[in-house]
Amino acid sequence: MAQWQEVQGLANTYLEQVHQLYAGSALPMAVRQSLAAWIESQNWRQAAEPLCSHARMLFHSLLVLLGERLGSLGSDREDFMLKHNLRKAHRDLQAEFEEKPERFANLVANLLQEERRILRLGQAEGQAGSAPAPSPAPESGREQQIQRRLAEFHTALQEAERAFRHLEDLQDAFDFCFKVHYQPGEERNRDPGYLQELQSLQAKLQNLDRQRREVLAQMQQLLGRSETLQELLQQELGGWRVRQQHLCLGASADTNLRPLETWFTELGQGLFQLRQLLRALGDLRQKVTYARDPLVAETPLLEQRLQEQLTHLLKSAFVVEQQPSTPNAGKRPLVLRTAGKFSSRARLLVRLHDRNHRMEARIHIDRDPPNIKGFRRFNILTSSSKTLLAGDSPQEGLVCDFQYLTLKEQKDSRAGKGKGASGEGPLVVTEELHVITFTLAYAYCGLELELEATTLPFVIISNNNQFSSAWASILWFNMLSSDPKAQQFFSSPPPAPWPRLAEVLSWQFQSVAERGLSRDNLLMLAKKLLGSKPSPDSTVAWHKFSKDGASGFSFWAWLDGILGLLQEHLKQLWKNGLILGFVSRKQEEKLLKSKRTGTFLLRFSESVLGGVTFTWVEHHETGSPTFHAVEPYTASELVSLALPDIIRDYHMSLEEKNPENPLKFLYPNIPRDEAFGPYYSQRLEGNLSESQKYLNRRLIRVSSRPPNRRQTEEELLVATENLETLQLQPRGQGTPGDLGTPQGVATSPGMPRVTPGILGTLQGVTMSPGTLQVTPENLGTLQGVTVSPGTLRVTPENLGTLQGVTVSPGTLQVTPENLGTLQGVTVSPGTLRVTPGNLGTPQTLQMVATSPEMPQVTPGNLGTFQGMATSPGTPRVTLGNLGTPQVMATGLGTLQPQPQSLEPPQVTSGIPNLQGTLQVAPGAVGSVQVLPGGLQVASGDLGTLQGTAEPPRVPEEQGTLPAELRDLELLPGGQDMQELLLQGGQDMQELLEGLEPPSGTLGTLGTLGVAELMPDVVATLEDSLEESFQLSPGSAALLAQHDPFLPQPEDSALPSVPSLFTDLPPLHIDASDFQ
Amino acid sequence: TEAIGLYNLGQSCCLNSLLQVFLMNIHFTRILRRITVPPSPAQRRSNVPYQMLLLLEKMQSGKCKAVGPTELACCLSEHRVELFVQHDAAQLFLTLWNLLKKQMKKPELVKELRDLYTICIQEHVACQKCSFEVKSKSTMLTLPLPVLDANSHRLKTLEDCLQYFFHPEELTGQNMCFCQQCGRKTPFLQSTKLVHLPQTLTLHLKRFCFERSSCTHKLSHSLPFPQELDLRQVLTESQCQADDSEKATWQYELFAVVAHSGSASCGHYCAYIRRLTDCKWYCFNDSEVCQVSWDDVKCTYGRSNLYWRETAYLLFYMKKQPQ
Repeated sequence: MAQWQEVQGLANTYLEQVHQLYAGSALPMAVRQSLAAWIESQNWRQAAEPLCSHARMLFHSLLVLLGERLGSLGSDREDFMLKHNLRKAHRDLQAEFEEKPERFANLVANLLQEERRILRLGQAEGQAGSAPAPSPAPESGREQQIQRRLAEFHTALQEAERAFRHLEDLQDAFDFCFKVHYQPGEERNRDPGYLQELQSLQAKLQNLDRQRREVLAQMQQLLGRSETLQELLQQELGGWRVRQQHLCLGASADTNLRPLETWFTELGQGLFQLRQLLRALGDLRQKVTYARDPLVAETPLLEQRLQEQLTHLLKSAFVVEQQPSTPNAGKRPLVLRTAGKFSSRARLLVRLHDRNHRMEARIHIDRDPPNIKGFRRFNILTSSSKTLLAGDSPQEGLVCDFQYLTLKEQKDSRAGKGKGASGEGPLVVTEELHVITFTLAYAYCGLELELEATTLPFVIISNNNQFSSAWASILWFNMLSSDPKAQQFFSSPPPAPWPRLAEVLSWQFQSVAERGLSRDNLLMLAKKLLGSKPSPDSTVAWHKFSKDGASGFSFWAWLDGILGLLQEHLKQLWKNGLILGFVSRKQEEKLLKSKRTGTFLLRFSESVLGGVTFTWVEHHETGSPTFHAVEPYTASELVSLALPDIIRDYHMSLEEKNPENPLKFLYPNIPRDEAFGPYYSQRLEGNLSESQKYLNRRLIRVSSRPPNRRQTEEELLVATENLETLQLQPRGQGTPGDLGTPQGVATSPGMPRVTPGILGTLQGVTMSPGTLQVTPENLGTLQGVTVSPGTLRVTPENLGTLQGVTVSPGTLQVTPENLGTLQGVTVSPGTLRVTPGNLGTPQTLQMVATSPEMPQVTPGNLGTFQGMATSPGTPRVTLGNLGTPQVMATGLGTLQPQPQSLEPPQVTSGIPNLQGTLQVAPGAVGSVQVLPGGLQVASGDLGTLQGTAEPPRVPEEQGTLPAELRDLELLPGGQDMQELLLQGGQDMQELLEGLEPPSGTLGTLGTLGVAELMPDVVATLEDSLEESFQLSPGSAALLAQHDPFLPQPEDSALPSVPSLFTDLPPLHIDASDFQ
Repeated sequence: TEAIGLYNLGQSCCLNSLLQVFLMNIHFTRILRRITVPPSPAQRRSNVPYQMLLLLEKMQSGKCKAVGPTELACCLSEHRVELFVQHDAAQLFLTLWNLLKKQMKKPELVKELRDLYTICIQEHVACQKCSFEVKSKSTMLTLPLPVLDANSHRLKTLEDCLQYFFHPEELTGQNMCFCQQCGRKTPFLQSTKLVHLPQTLTLHLKRFCFERSSCTHKLSHSLPFPQELDLRQVLTESQCQADDSEKATWQYELFAVVAHSGSASCGHYCAYIRRLTDCKWYCFNDSEVCQVSWDDVKCTYGRSNLYWRETAYLLFYMKKQPQ
């Protein structure tokens, strides 16, 4: 905008200053106004120099223009006054300055300068004053500063160009005079006229010299200002780089390059213009030069300075706009797959190019590979060069866009396999950092440069299961380094300051489910990682974050599991804050303690990868409140049933009452349906009889009451059809047909649900929370009795009689095909799995597991089998043909226990010798009269069942089995069953009650059992552990802690317990076992 | 009024920058205005303070954008300050100051000039073997601060440079001195202690590195200097030899920076000066003057990979006015 126009737009206080300026001035404002544009476009400062004809010329031009203006004015009343004023001004000016036009030039120059000063003040004020309250962010302040400086730079550049043109005129004039008048010769030197000419020539040269120096000073000034400008731009670019890294990490950040591109281009343009000017100055020097010519001395310096600036600007202006990423990586760039497609883009922020010149961009991967042994080398399979066609897309700028790139690993035949497996390289694949370098052969206006831009390091994986840990590497690098050349970063990865890590972790949640981590969440995570409250100086080591994990998985694997779960199933709940998420046990109790019964909260499991659970509080009339937590749900469950529906339908059976949903209020006190209503998949009048209609297609989640506080429930889950969660497949998937006598007998808070195909008699009795899953097709008699938390799963096809009795937490899983009689009795926490092929008709299978482990028996044809696993460990028994039913004693001799599945000795968390306390008093077993007439699992003899702790060998005592066991009889099927069973159930209860006094707390044992079997529930363990250490001496004796075969607490070298944080080995059964 | 530039007379950017620094310092001009005018025209022509005063008058009277310091330059050339030669700013500053001091006839003015610019230090040289110690007081016009330490490592900030300057040095091996008491060459400890600081403190960053190969090169690496400098914070107790009332005045504000661009052999000087009347920064590039900001001054910190850029060479700090 023209200066005078801007002046008129000033605020009143500044306008007043302008009025004052012109009030006492010899140049009336009317003249300034009338000839504004012309006045502003003249170089008055130069004209004001002494010995300059320029001033006179300007002065006369002004008078002429003023006369023209007078003539063009009409005869309006307004014009009349103006005419008068201008005419007066014309007269006055002529009178005053006719003889000394330099003074007039100086006057105008000073006026214009003063105007500019007022303008600056006024505009600065206007910027500060116009938006006082919502003050512009510091960023926009910087933006404004850059824009202001750019504008000033260009104005100064224009002034320099004007000065240069003036210099040209002066030089031409001098050159002409010189050629005409300078005729050296002896005789002429005496001619006074000639000497006068020479003097005038000398004055002209002085003037020319001064003008040259002035132009040079202007250039120096310009370069100084552009240095500052460039410094500011570099700072902005640095900020952008940081933002881009943050964006890669999942933060939300503005990475728009448009403003930077505009600024870089403008500055670049200015510098190239300056370069042209310098060259033109060089041309002037070619024409006229003299002793101490400033152009000779100073131009090289200016050229060097400018060259350095331009180079620096262009080199920094070549940036990687889009870091390498695969198309479907979502928000996780920088992890590439071999043979997978990816793309990357670089941009030159200085949008200046020659239309006729083709610039070529190339990409290289790992151009300077780090010196790491076994470092994989890759080739870019697709074309690695591209021509930047000038003028292609002026709107889009100068972009090198490489899409659909693929990588292929170089095979080095000599070195063999270069990677991890052989342990050659110190780095694993996911810690190997690769970079791509873009190069661009830049050429513009005769300046040629090789520009380079390097991507952030990325990780190349070959398998999807490496993705999570690859991403961990990317997080770690970008959190702690910004140097793409640091490809050796993971040779000694630095630790991360906790505050920084906390921020980055929060971004992960923000990017996956649009909600970051709260302060409390982060506090819990910090305690988990650091073991204590974080201080600002706390740091986390890379290993601690991504490698170590007492639970068999690292902190990151755990957290990423949760992220996966959120992404797939819980996005909305997390986003809207319904999941408290990361809460420690202690904190959880603190929160819930003061709340109403039925207040619950949702949190992530600490022991299961990608698990979510809910905990609710129950207050009693007396005593402290109890807290219940359900076994964590993972993606495999949530895929068939959404968490809000689970919460809606969750039921817990109470003694002699209808089951009811214990989840009433979401913490702090939002009614359940109000909180989760919007997420329910359908409305349902929850009523058992109705829900039975849906048995085919719905799962109902029910828990039974835990026997003591902090008991973790297991699900009791029954369905006729194949469940995804079911691991044992019945051969035929029977539809529920006729029900013989379905009976659900709840003698304890458990709630068995049985839906058999063709069922003779089915009876499910659970004495304590557990899962009873029965999927029979043709069932004679099925009896499932679980007396303690455990899972009983029975999947028989043709079943004569099945009896599953678990008296302690454990899993009994029976998959017989043709079964005469099966009796599974587990009397201690453990998983019993029986998969018999064909069992002859009057045949009996009896499993008595008295130890906290998992006997697995797979007999082929079994007469009578009795497996007594009394030792910790997992004996797997595979029997061929067992002859007579009287095999008991000798049969054991043929057992070939294979204690191979003992977990490696990684007992951590100070729970050294759990199974030492896990011996269920066998006295109880002895009194189990569960199935009168049928099975008598009992042995009065405690000693016999106990004290066999050493897995590899079968102790001799095993041979002397109680006589009663041989007298096993088939359970008579039919009508007596119910009665018997009932009786059994009652006995069971008595048994449980009876157990309590001598052994301290059966509950404790039960809990411990859970801990053993369900290592998922870590926190429970810790609680129960304390209790277990408080066992009375009597019980200690009973528990045979001093048994020499039991691992001693101190001796951690003994493979005593599988780590509590480790998942049990996955249960799998070979299909061939069935067929 | 705007600040006035000085025309370049041919390699006179160094002189111009220093003149601006002198003439923008109101403490200096207060002294300058009180000089006695030499009686004869010849004396007036060769009197540096007088020519400087004339120049100041010329700058302040005319409404010109810049004036030419021709007379002063001629006057200086009479005193062996050559024209049309690129000077070293630190050197020229010393020469100018000495000429000023020599030619100001009034003793009270000379004292004031001294008080305005000279730094008092005490040098200690102590024998490490016996108690022999030599103390000597001396004055300096600038503190020549090294920007590299003994191992040629870059010092990080101006404060580091000051620290390093006042760091005691052990003279051992070849550098051992002859001890009168011991009667032989012994290792000495040499240290410099600060006694008094003037109103205008001049710091000289030794950015030019003389190598054995006789070619001088410039050290362009970044060396930040603060706008406010408190010498009490920078120096330790043992590096000072001053009482508390003296030390209380050791608080400075940056007043001017003489910056150099280019290489050791070919370069250009300009001056950044904070005008004391309006506290705004101006950049003086010979005849070009423009108002700038602290960002521009900060730009003279230097940058290791940019060799041709403006880098601060002389720093002028001004004592803060007691509140």
